[in-house]
Amino acid sequence: MAPSEAETTARAVARQHGNRPDALIEILHGVQAVLGWVPESAVPALADALNLSRAEVHGVVTFSHDFRRQPAGRHVLKMCRAEACQAMGCEALVERAESRLGVSCGGTSADGRVTLESVYCLGLCASGPSGMMDGRVVGRLTAPRLDALLREAGA
Amino acid sequence: MTTLVKEPDFGTPASKMEKTVTLTIDGTKVAVPEGTSIMRAAMEMGTAIPKLCATDSIEAFGSCRLCLVEIQGRAGTPASCTTPVAEGLVVHTQTPRLAQIRRGVMELYISDHPLDCLTCAANGDCELQDMAGAVGLRDVRYGYEGANHVFAKQNGKANAEWMPKDESNPYFTYDPSKCIVCNRCVRACEEVQGTFALTISGRGFDSRVSPGMSESFLDSECVSCGACVQACPTATLTEKAVIEIGQPEHSVVTTCAYCGVGCSFKAEMRGEEVVRMVPYKDGKANRGHSCVKGRFAWGYATHTERILKPMLRDKITDPWRETTWEEAIGRVATEFKRIQYQYGKDAVGGITSSRCTNEETFLVQKLIRAGFGVNNVDTCARVCHSPTGYGLKTAFGTSAGTQDFDSIEHTDVVMIIGANPTDGHPVFASRMKKRLRQGAKLIVLDPRRIDMVRSPHIQADHHLPLTPGTNVAVLTAWRTSSPPRASSTRRSCASVATGRTSRSGPRSCRDRSTRPRSPPSIPASIQPRCAAPLASMQPAATPPSTTA
Amino acid sequence: MTIPFLSRSRTPAEDQPRRTVRLFISKDAAAVAVGAETVAAAIVRSAAATALPVEVVRTGSRGMLWLEPLVEVEIDGVRYGFGPIEPEALAGLLDAGILQADLKRLLAHPASLGPVDKIEYLAAQTRLTFARCGITDPLSLDNYRALGGCKGLEKALSLTPAGIVDEVAKSGLRGRGGAGFPTGIKWKSAHDVAGEQKYIVCNADEGDSGTFADRMLMEGDPFLLIEGMTIAGLAVGASKGFIYVRSEYPHAILALKAAVAVARKAGLLGANVAASGRAFDLEVRVGAGAYVCGEETALLESLEGKRGIVRAKPPLPAHKGLFGKPTVINNVLSFAAAPFILGEGAKAYADYGLGRSRGTMPIQLAGNIKRGGLFETAFGMTLGELVDDIGGDTASGRPVKAVQVGGPLGAYFPRALFDTPFDYEAFAARDGLIGHGGVVVFDDAADMARQAKFAFEFCAIESCGKCTPCRIGATRGAETIEKIMAGENDEANLALVADLCNTMKFGSLCALGGFTPYPVVSALTHFPDDFRRPAPRLQAAE
Repeated sequence: MAPSEAETTARAVARQHGNRPDALIEILHGVQAVLGWVPESAVPALADALNLSRAEVHGVVTFSHDFRRQPAGRHVLKMCRAEACQAMGCEALVERAESRLGVSCGGTSADGRVTLESVYCLGLCASGPSGMMDGRVVGRLTAPRLDALLREAGA
Repeated sequence: MTTLVKEPDFGTPASKMEKTVTLTIDGTKVAVPEGTSIMRAAMEMGTAIPKLCATDSIEAFGSCRLCLVEIQGRAGTPASCTTPVAEGLVVHTQTPRLAQIRRGVMELYISDHPLDCLTCAANGDCELQDMAGAVGLRDVRYGYEGANHVFAKQNGKANAEWMPKDESNPYFTYDPSKCIVCNRCVRACEEVQGTFALTISGRGFDSRVSPGMSESFLDSECVSCGACVQACPTATLTEKAVIEIGQPEHSVVTTCAYCGVGCSFKAEMRGEEVVRMVPYKDGKANRGHSCVKGRFAWGYATHTERILKPMLRDKITDPWRETTWEEAIGRVATEFKRIQYQYGKDAVGGITSSRCTNEETFLVQKLIRAGFGVNNVDTCARVCHSPTGYGLKTAFGTSAGTQDFDSIEHTDVVMIIGANPTDGHPVFASRMKKRLRQGAKLIVLDPRRIDMVRSPHIQADHHLPLTPGTNVAVLTAWRTSSPPRASSTRRSCASVATGRTSRSGPRSCRDRSTRPRSPPSIPASIQPRCAAPLASMQPAATPPSTTA
Repeated sequence: MTIPFLSRSRTPAEDQPRRTVRLFISKDAAAVAVGAETVAAAIVRSAAATALPVEVVRTGSRGMLWLEPLVEVEIDGVRYGFGPIEPEALAGLLDAGILQADLKRLLAHPASLGPVDKIEYLAAQTRLTFARCGITDPLSLDNYRALGGCKGLEKALSLTPAGIVDEVAKSGLRGRGGAGFPTGIKWKSAHDVAGEQKYIVCNADEGDSGTFADRMLMEGDPFLLIEGMTIAGLAVGASKGFIYVRSEYPHAILALKAAVAVARKAGLLGANVAASGRAFDLEVRVGAGAYVCGEETALLESLEGKRGIVRAKPPLPAHKGLFGKPTVINNVLSFAAAPFILGEGAKAYADYGLGRSRGTMPIQLAGNIKRGGLFETAFGMTLGELVDDIGGDTASGRPVKAVQVGGPLGAYFPRALFDTPFDYEAFAARDGLIGHGGVVVFDDAADMARQAKFAFEFCAIESCGKCTPCRIGATRGAETIEKIMAGENDEANLALVADLCNTMKFGSLCALGGFTPYPVVSALTHFPDDFRRPAPRLQAAE
């Protein structure tokens, strides 16, 4: 049976890192950068390439909040909910985003357009409330600015 | 009077260091080797510091936080399992402060644990129960309405944290609702067995033991060695037999008959019924570990198809007829005598098995020699080990193994020739893998790509997949290249083994004559283990014939 | 102090008739988050459209984050600042002649700040670590060297390893990550252990809310970190280093990787550092969304490709760390302090500060604060001075209610404790901690019971799950605070929380569980009213 795209990608990325088991997290980032998530079929392929057990790779994937076990929406909006942003009213904005998108943090809108995620600190603690839209940092968020971001994402 | 044999659990492995350290624990002076944990030192003097995540077959982990102690002159409350002894330390294992913390920890544990002790398989053999008792837990003030892994449904909704029992493995059950995430199973699978089949999935409160990729045990990489079940302090991983029968009440120490390792087991019984087989820590061959065979696959002893009465038939086409022992033994004796009379004494012989114990082998040869009056007795080891027996006897004076299993712990290079230890001698394979993970080198001479060539965390430094039938040529080439340099040895071995030499063809592989050479120097490390005096040792003058 | 910006030398032809106007805009993430990229791009477009000779230099941030995007123009060797210039305000600045460097018109602009170096916020600082941040092009080695870079490394190369260790020990530098452990002692431990392979690991997993100094430095002056780690490598005999950056810092990751490549190309990293015959090289590694990987042993587990769970100590990483080898693991700012210590001498560093807190601390003013940003100063300023005088009180204008110092595991201090000097021991004496130097200001809209609950919730979200007090305790703590907030059995539950905090403080394996009691207990102690909820009118039968 031909290897899936996930398996091929996993092995290619692992090779780029010299199949070093200590580079597992770098490799998982690499796989997610290509595929947008870490499919389950990538795990045995990585275990084989790095000479680890499936369990070990699975343990690392599930430990780290960064690695997606299913594809994300077209856009990913991360909103910081740590103390400094709380002090600037991020919770009200999170509620607004959840209500606009019809999901709670961690979920993807029904139309698959936006995945809303909590993040704990982006290092923009004097520019809060802050967030990240598709990897682009945004600070001094307000309700209008949040609405603009959501509109941009087609939500 | 036989009772259940319960070996003391010292909490952490014994230290191999030589210097002795003296410290005071609870007012008593105790002397232990340097590198011993405070927990073990206390246990050796009879004080069992409360613990859940520590067990002496695996390295200390420091996660349960029950074994905290107070050390004079040091701030805080360090864990006694991860703190090594030091000269002159003054340690207190029980103080009001420690008691309060321990009770706090147990309260947290029990707040996320089923309260069905009386109907639980581990009732009477549960370390969590023991610890709740040991610390004087009286109350779980958190209540039971909070997040937990216990209830499948909560407030009318499905509980996302709950996982159903995994009964896929025929021998044991995994019940995640009872797991205290002590990690003992994961660590046992890593350190003792070396399969790495288990991990913890998720993190924080979500943490649960996961075989493979959160698969069932049977689908995962698990090989059912039972190390995790043995290590588990609760009923989370329990033998199905214990669930069905109940707790055993006495043990019989015995030896497993499945392979040449000869693991020591405690057959834990209830009356005449074997409840389970648990590896015996004092077993010199297995040191408390086991494989699926001896641990679980003893069902044949009580299998419904097991023949329990002697049976006779006159012709191979006749059906079997049950009979008495007297008639059966009488018939066999008479017939053997007839055969000897009719065809001569030497028409009868006997073969014992390398899976028999030494005692059983002794009896077989006694029967042949004294009973049948002939010397036609041998062991099946002759088939495999005729050449090695000859070589060992010639080189070292005896054809028995030259060293004990414990010696693997000091090995620098392991060479496996024509063996597949992972399947054939699993317990020893695990011990080898442990040493290999510590940095010992591995050479595999086998046409097969055996498991030891590449498996999680193990990679042979050299795999020489010789052509079947060229063992002797390879080994001779090896022996005659001096000093052995890996690359040239590999070349010469490879070229000889595949028969692809430029000058001579396959004939050279069969050329058995070699000039006698001066004896190679015997490495000092094995000299004391050699049975015969050095003077009697000579190298094999000619390679032994392969026709037995 | 005005520092002339050095770049390629100009030919006489270029001096006439129009000189290139040099503008400086930060590309620090905090500036980008408020529009700096848009502003920079617009300026470049405008300049091209009007064929004006303008050079836009992207720098790190000056750290006056309320003024970002900050646009600086260099006129006669002085850099004049304008900020904040959000994209909508750029047109006005262009009209005021920024591209023509029309000083007279510019000074009249409403956003004109005058010479940047004279801005009170900056002028009041003692910038030892952040000396170059916001001034230089972060990836220009020439800029770096012109402003004192590599001086420390040169000095270190002339000393024995023990000599380097000694210098750092004499400086009194304490780990800036939060633990405050004497750096010299840590380096000495690793130096003294025999071993061929040793490692230097930089903890750049700056996960504390309210902190961004590491991020700013990695983006604004990455060579300083590289130089500091190289010095550490020379001191203990390590040939390889790793920088573990959290994945939430994409700009810092890119900046570091670029800087390492530049340094390698220039021979400052590799098999032959600065032609000394000694080897030291660096690898940048990225985290995967786990605050606990800021704990040093969990970080090492992560670097080894495993789940980031905390290791028991002993053994200490200095003896058995990465891959079981002797490892020095320090925070970004700790390494970044080394070049100054070696270059200017231990005494120069130790002369700043007081008691056992020597040198400078890059304090980060954050949260609901008017003038948030980076403020590097010697230890000793009071919390009140920082929040009121430097920070300018709240951004919202409402009164300050609480200040959390030291990140999510730090205590909440009320105004009554504003006389506490910024010093390790002084904060500890009041059941607080300075940690990594983050100061998060809350106004009176804050509900301290909710904050206490969040402290437990954050611990639960980030717990590695290894030890019981944190794994289960954090969840139970949040549940119990919620019961208190709902008026359920509050006396009993308050006692339970206190007992739980005791269990977590003394029982936890690491500071995540161990210090979560700090914010909880401080909220209970200083803001008890927030926890007294009126009992609901209808109570369920007990």
